Amino acid sequence: MIKALFTRKAACQGARTDTVLPGSALNWLLVSFAILLVPQWNRLPIWLIGACAGLAGWRWLAQTGRVRLPGRWLRVGIMLVLMAIYIATVRGHFSVDTASSFFVLAVGLKWLETRTQRDFYVVFFILVYLAAVNFLFRQDILWALMNFSAIGLLLAGLQTLNAPDLPPSARRGWKRLAGMVLKTLPVVILLFVFFPRMAPLWSVPMVSDQARTGLSDTMTPGDISSLAQNSERAFRVSFGGQVPAYRDRYWRGLILDYLDGETWRRREQDDFTRPGRIDLDGGVGELEPNQYDVLLEPTDRKWAFTLENSRAVSDNLVETPQALFEFRRPADTSVRYRMALEPSVRIVSGSPETLSSAQKRRYLQLPGEGNPQARALARELATQGSDEQVIRRLLERFREQEYYYTLRPPRMPENGIDRLLFEEKRGFCAHYAGAATFVYRAAGIPARVVTGYQGGEPGAGGEYLIVRQYDAHAWVEVWLEGRGWVRVDPTAAIAPDRIESGLRDAMAEEGSFLEDDPLSPQRYGDLPLVQWASLQLDRINYQWQRWVVGYQGQSQMDLMSRLPGGLGLKELGYLTAGIVGAALLFAGVISGWKRRGGPKQDRFRRLVAAWHRFCEQSGVPVRAGETPDFLAGRLARALPEVADTAASFARQVNRHYYSRPEGVATEQELRHLKHLLRTMKRQRRQRQTSSIRTRNP
Amino acid sequence: MLKKTLAGRIRRWINRRLPRADRQTFTQKTIFILPTGAGVVFGLLLLIMLVTGINYQNSLIYLLVFLLGALFVAAMHQTHRNLSGLTLALVSAGEGEAGEGVPFRFRITSTTADSLALALSVADEQGRPGAVIEGVHVPAGETRDVTLTLPTARRGYVRPERVRIETRFPFGLLKAWSWLRPVSAGVAYPRPLPAPDTVSTVQETDNNDTPVRVAGQDEADLRPWREGDLTPRVMWKRYARTGQMVVADWQASGGSPHWLDFSAFPGADTELRLSYLAWQVRDRAAKGARFGLTLPGEVIDPDAGNPHALRCLHALAVWGQEKPRDDDAHVHGTRAGVDSAGAGRAA
Repeated sequence: MIKALFTRKAACQGARTDTVLPGSALNWLLVSFAILLVPQWNRLPIWLIGACAGLAGWRWLAQTGRVRLPGRWLRVGIMLVLMAIYIATVRGHFSVDTASSFFVLAVGLKWLETRTQRDFYVVFFILVYLAAVNFLFRQDILWALMNFSAIGLLLAGLQTLNAPDLPPSARRGWKRLAGMVLKTLPVVILLFVFFPRMAPLWSVPMVSDQARTGLSDTMTPGDISSLAQNSERAFRVSFGGQVPAYRDRYWRGLILDYLDGETWRRREQDDFTRPGRIDLDGGVGELEPNQYDVLLEPTDRKWAFTLENSRAVSDNLVETPQALFEFRRPADTSVRYRMALEPSVRIVSGSPETLSSAQKRRYLQLPGEGNPQARALARELATQGSDEQVIRRLLERFREQEYYYTLRPPRMPENGIDRLLFEEKRGFCAHYAGAATFVYRAAGIPARVVTGYQGGEPGAGGEYLIVRQYDAHAWVEVWLEGRGWVRVDPTAAIAPDRIESGLRDAMAEEGSFLEDDPLSPQRYGDLPLVQWASLQLDRINYQWQRWVVGYQGQSQMDLMSRLPGGLGLKELGYLTAGIVGAALLFAGVISGWKRRGGPKQDRFRRLVAAWHRFCEQSGVPVRAGETPDFLAGRLARALPEVADTAASFARQVNRHYYSRPEGVATEQELRHLKHLLRTMKRQRRQRQTSSIRTRNP
Repeated sequence: MLKKTLAGRIRRWINRRLPRADRQTFTQKTIFILPTGAGVVFGLLLLIMLVTGINYQNSLIYLLVFLLGALFVAAMHQTHRNLSGLTLALVSAGEGEAGEGVPFRFRITSTTADSLALALSVADEQGRPGAVIEGVHVPAGETRDVTLTLPTARRGYVRPERVRIETRFPFGLLKAWSWLRPVSAGVAYPRPLPAPDTVSTVQETDNNDTPVRVAGQDEADLRPWREGDLTPRVMWKRYARTGQMVVADWQASGGSPHWLDFSAFPGADTELRLSYLAWQVRDRAAKGARFGLTLPGEVIDPDAGNPHALRCLHALAVWGQEKPRDDDAHVHGTRAGVDSAGAGRAA
């Protein structure tokens, strides 16, 4: 034994073990990295995704001990190669996409260096910020849940990092985290509602390379038919009053008034706009019966889509001379705006009573040559009567002859209008709208192509309409003396189904509806369950967009104006500080109260602890491992008055320990102990008062 | 200079809050909590994210910031609760050998809440981390014993100035800590050094009175110098006279091999003597011999066996040292019994 005592080495003086990362903690980190990459999948270059997968996989294999981490030079080499690829692909062009791929690249490279706790935290911080960046791009509820669950994984990983070898009873990282989230949720919600939504501190355009699906500002026959294969949402509308009939749902977006060879363009391009963010304040309060509210998906364009005879209600839109509506900045995030319908004699509001000669020239513009047959047709029609008759004749021609509406039109590269009208007779709305405008102009009637959307299906519960990309449409507006601009839709003459009930019905025979997009739920309109699930999800997303994602400046002010007190931004700031302070205070009070209270089932231990406190206060420090009897003896020496009571208290405690060391004390035992403790306190008090009396007789 | 006085002031403030005791129950008053380096960076990150949210008018980033911020506060609560109500007690301050380490046994008792991922550490004399134990988990209502081995270079009483208990659970963004300032001291035996072959100058007497010291040289045999003889024993006067190196050899004196004697190593300094004696005690104990120990002011009668050996080593360790006393005023208290308890364990 003595030998053992002497030869025992000090074995536990090892250095702090924070150089080794627990494998389980690393796994949490890797999984959350994978989840955070998913929302970015179509923004990141392929090589970067591959490199990240490779590097993270390497790190994982190294953790399991199958391979070794690269040495310093190899690491530097990999870093230089990937940086070179990045710089070569970015080429000095800065956008949000390049910034976010830089983040991803940084994490990917960091994997090979993640050896210590410190590295773990570095990766943790970058990944948290990556989650925030993801919110810039995608705000749907499912993506948001994905981001939040990745954050949850990260926090669970931190717990594993800080306590890798927890006993099974305490290994409830998720439960603990969920408890913490639940406890703090009220504060989070209050902060979310009341934190003042300030204007941006400085202007940060969200420049994105990402091409968005949507209408473009040129129209070459065929463009819109590719859009027709896309079932992404364009916008959602809710109406304050009656929803217009399907055939009246013409959402005007753009006017193309200049024919450049085969392509329709806008004569006036957008002016240069200073980079900045779009105004998100889309009006608040209940919708009036004649109002409607549009939640537009990001388009990166300035134009908005509105019904005919509309007037802007929210401030984030301006009306153009062509009775269209524009934002001041491109819509780089989803944006809400509010319109009102104005009953009017004219079909298109804002039409001038007369056209100036410059305007007449503009709307009669045609290329110098091309499409001779169409011009001949126009001359022939023009001789047959008034403008209105000319218009009607052409539509009758479309209706009576064998013209087809198809998503698979043939290619018509030269003299396309002639070939469409006289040879192929198969086309899509853009073909017919372009051809009709050409013929009217050649016949001397001012005309223009309008593009936008037509239709929209009710969402779940019928609260709003969903307009999708395949509802994209093109039609014609002609100028009639005395009536102004009048809508003429050749598609309505050829395929009335398209206008009455949408593209799906119009394409039922051809079977070409969404033929390139087998994953879209809209393709399976005949499967009720798929349709129902997709619409329910859309409804949740709509509410999420309106009330959570869209909770900004004006909507906050609107909510505050309904609360008593009339809170402004400054008051909200004070209120926020108050919430934080109150929450901290509350947590402090709760923790203090809990500490003093202790759990109910352990009242016996609490009583013993109280006795120990009593001893300490009486100048008898309690020592570890001391028996109650011994302590009572020392207490008796310091405070002779309590000697007997202390002895019986100690006896009682001892009896409990020996009779039922694990069991719960009975009520009677507890009452007895409590009584004894009270007696001791009283005896001590009496002694103090008597000593005071003897000092001051 | 200013830093020094500030540090001193903080130390005094902490010492007032945490009086010396072998047992400490941590409460709101005695738990300190601060963000770690990672916690500070996390705070900055939240600020950056908030600015991002404001600039891009992104409600979901706001939501994320508020959620993480609230979790940070909840973590503060959780980390604090990890220590709150916990009792740390020094169960035994052990004995060990200088240079090897002295084991201190602590008992951690948790009351209402789980206390997870605790770390106990003691700084050595230079303030560097001396001994550390990490990853101690004490579920609610349970008790764990841990042993910290304190490194020590010198023999004597060993008492850590403070034993630090710290936790960073759950996220490592905050650290809560407190200290135990133990009263009891452990003992470090002198580091054993092989002693030159000598015998005690103590004469074997029947009645075991105070040892009679004999004037060494008179009784000593003189013999020529051999390699390995201690220089102090060379009779230098005779050398100066005759040129012969003659050594006074006490072999022949009436000293007894049963006595290990402090004064048997003339010329050696005190610590060296104690090291020699420690080696001799160990040597005799390993052989199972009977031996006694005489130190200036203290005599241990001849005996055999482990308890006797440990008693001798203890006497060697604390010879000439005073028991560490409380450095701050004590409000209440009989401290008698602490010493006897320590001595009792050693015997």
